[in-house]
Amino acid sequence: MPEFLELTVDKFTFRTAADRYYNSEGVWALAEVSPLPLGEGTGVRVRIGLSDFLQQRSGDVAFAEVTSEGTVLAFGDEVAVIETIKAEVSLPSPVAGEVVEVNPAMETAPEVINQDPYGEGWLAVIEAEDWEADRARLLDAQAYFLVMKQEAEEEARRL
Amino acid sequence: MSEGRRKVVIVPCSGIGKTYGTVSREAAYEVTEDLRPADTQLVALSLLVLGDEDARAAVADNPAVTIDGCKLACATRMVEESGGAVAQDFAVLDAYRRHRQFKPQGIAELNEGGQKLAHALAEEVAAVVDNLRHGGKDA
Repeated sequence: MPEFLELTVDKFTFRTAADRYYNSEGVWALAEVSPLPLGEGTGVRVRIGLSDFLQQRSGDVAFAEVTSEGTVLAFGDEVAVIETIKAEVSLPSPVAGEVVEVNPAMETAPEVINQDPYGEGWLAVIEAEDWEADRARLLDAQAYFLVMKQEAEEEARRL
Repeated sequence: MSEGRRKVVIVPCSGIGKTYGTVSREAAYEVTEDLRPADTQLVALSLLVLGDEDARAAVADNPAVTIDGCKLACATRMVEESGGAVAQDFAVLDAYRRHRQFKPQGIAELNEGGQKLAHALAEEVAAVVDNLRHGGKDA
C-alpha cells in the first residue's frame, strides 16, 4: 500500500499516492521496474491511472475506453477517454511507448476507477520508450499535490 | 388486481440541477402516471427528509422501489431510514450502462437520449412493480 498525501477541502478529501509521478492533468505513472540510467530508458513498464482528485472531480464513470494494446503513444497523446455523469474526459498519456496491457475491468466494471483509483482502477501498462525523459517532464507527488491543492481550492471558491 | 392490496411506492432522486436526477424523476413520473398508475404511488424524497408522516407511513407500509441519481443513493438511504423496505433499487448510471445509446443531457429539459433513457428505465421499474404486485415476495 502506498503512502498518501491528503487534502481536505470542504467535505471532500483527496489523496495523492506518494510513490508515483503525475502529469498536470492528474494521470499517474508508476514504473514497475527500476528505471535504467538516464539515456538508456528502454524496457521499463509503467502502469498508469487517474489520481483520486481527477476521478472525484470527473464524477462517476459510466464508460472507459482505453487505447488498445499495441498502440504506440507519444508523451501527451490521448491514452483513454472516460465518460462520466458530468462529462467526457480525455486523458493524456504521461509516458511515451507501446500499450502492452489494458485493464480488463475498464470494459466490464469501469466504476473501479472511482472505487480504487490507485489500485484496481489502473488503466493500462505502457512499455516506456524513455522513462527517464518522461519522468523529467512529470510532477512528483509533492509537486502534484500542490497543483491539485490549488485547483481544488479554486474550485471550492467558485462553488 | 384486487382492492386493498398494497401499492408499490416509487421514490426517485431529488437532485435538482442534475441530469441523472432528472432522468430518475422522469422515469418515476412515467411509471406512476402512465405505465402503472393503479399499482404505484410516488413519494417525494424531500418529504421523507422532512419526516412527513404520510410519506413515512407510505414507505413503511408498502414495498418501495428507489431510483437513485448518483452513488450517494439518497433515495434508498432515506427509505431505509424511514423504516421502509427497499424491494429494488435502481441507479440511473447503471441504466445508462445498459442503454449506452441513450446518452442523457440537459437538466430542466432532457435531450432525446435522456428521455429515451428515462423511458427505458421506467419500463424496467414497471416490470419490477409487476413482479411485486403479481408474484413477487412483497406482493
